Amino acid sequence: MKFIVNLLITNTLMYKEDSITLDDLKQGSESAFKQIYIENREKFINFGRRYSLSEDELVEVYQDTYIAFYDNIMSGKIKAFTNSISTYLFSIGKYLIFQKMRTNKKTVNPDYDLQIVRDNEVDVTILDLDNEGLTEEQQLLYSNFDDLGKQCKELLTLFYYRGYTIKDILELGNYNSENVIKSAKSRCLKTLKNRIKATIIP
Amino acid sequence: MTKEDLLIGYFSNTLSNLHKSEFENLLKIDAEFKAQFEFEKALKKVVKKKENDKLKAKLHSFEEELKTPLLNSKTQVNPKANSISWLKIAASLVLFVSAGWIAYNSFFSTNYMSLYDANFKAYPNTEVTIIRGDTTIDETVRKAFVAYESEDYNEAIKQFTNLNANYVPFYKAQSYLKLGKLNEAKQFLNTSITNTVFVAESHWYLALIALKEKQKDQAVEQLQKVITLGTFKKDKAKELLEKL
Repeated sequence: MKFIVNLLITNTLMYKEDSITLDDLKQGSESAFKQIYIENREKFINFGRRYSLSEDELVEVYQDTYIAFYDNIMSGKIKAFTNSISTYLFSIGKYLIFQKMRTNKKTVNPDYDLQIVRDNEVDVTILDLDNEGLTEEQQLLYSNFDDLGKQCKELLTLFYYRGYTIKDILELGNYNSENVIKSAKSRCLKTLKNRIKATIIP
Repeated sequence: MTKEDLLIGYFSNTLSNLHKSEFENLLKIDAEFKAQFEFEKALKKVVKKKENDKLKAKLHSFEEELKTPLLNSKTQVNPKANSISWLKIAASLVLFVSAGWIAYNSFFSTNYMSLYDANFKAYPNTEVTIIRGDTTIDETVRKAFVAYESEDYNEAIKQFTNLNANYVPFYKAQSYLKLGKLNEAKQFLNTSITNTVFVAESHWYLALIALKEKQKDQAVEQLQKVITLGTFKKDKAKELLEKL
């Protein structure tokens, strides 16, 4: 019975998110980002309840899951939706819930079938789900990054987070040539390095 | 292909197999190249963390909206998807009665207090992710944000005072706002707008304070700045301006 209910939930979700494309998210659509979050929240929390986590913990896992899903779209690890968005969220979520339970040293109630959505699962091993904290050096970079100019921050974010190639950045129309972009990028990196050096050796 | 192009190709995921071998070989034999690669790899992680923190703040604000059904009427994307519960019926009644009240008020005059109440929401912590046992965060920073997140604003102000980061005036202002100390909040927001971070955000909160103090001209001026900057609550600011 539980299996049927879950299969129904999964299939219903597959139908609902048809209208949102990967491009909507990749282009940074705020409304698509919000719609997916709200539409899947309740179902995800219900799905997660079987894993003996508190409501607050489940909301936290849902948010981490959603961000991990978004990151993988930005980095190009998810190039096209081969499953419904909710299936991605359930699969990533399950991985993160297990991770959290291992940290909490909780065991799973044997009445619940951990493989319940196996048929529709996404292979999470091909995704980047690394969420380890920053090292001391990276923390230094983190605090100095904000002091860069707006243009530098935008350029570096497009390149290192949103997966834009130099050519893609040129197409946005803010620079005259690929060489200008490369030089700007080099200058931004140099500024950042200098700031860090100045922080270490004032 | 230059070394810079190789690195660009690596991070754009566009290296051919031939260039991949060249890239891997350089990593082994060229220490300077390896150092540059490690630097950019760390930067990629840091940029991701920055973006993730912003996303997390956004998700927190969605959660806040979900907790306050009064403000939630516009964000109910697909009401049919949600099951009907007594809680929602009660929320609808509250919404109905409140809408009537707001309509009654706005019919006679601009109700500054209700505009303030409907729009004021303390800014979430977007600076530091607090994870138990994480030793990479400075202790004072951690204490400040733990206090801020636990809504112990007096303690947060005390801890923020010991810090020197550019976000400090903004978060101190937020703490004073939550304590209802508008003059102190204004003072720190005015400092914050001269910083490089939270500029539009600071103008937004200055506009809200002006609303609370029924200073229409001030509110209009601050909202126009929010719209011009366009990085935070631009649409909300336009909406508010129309109501004034």
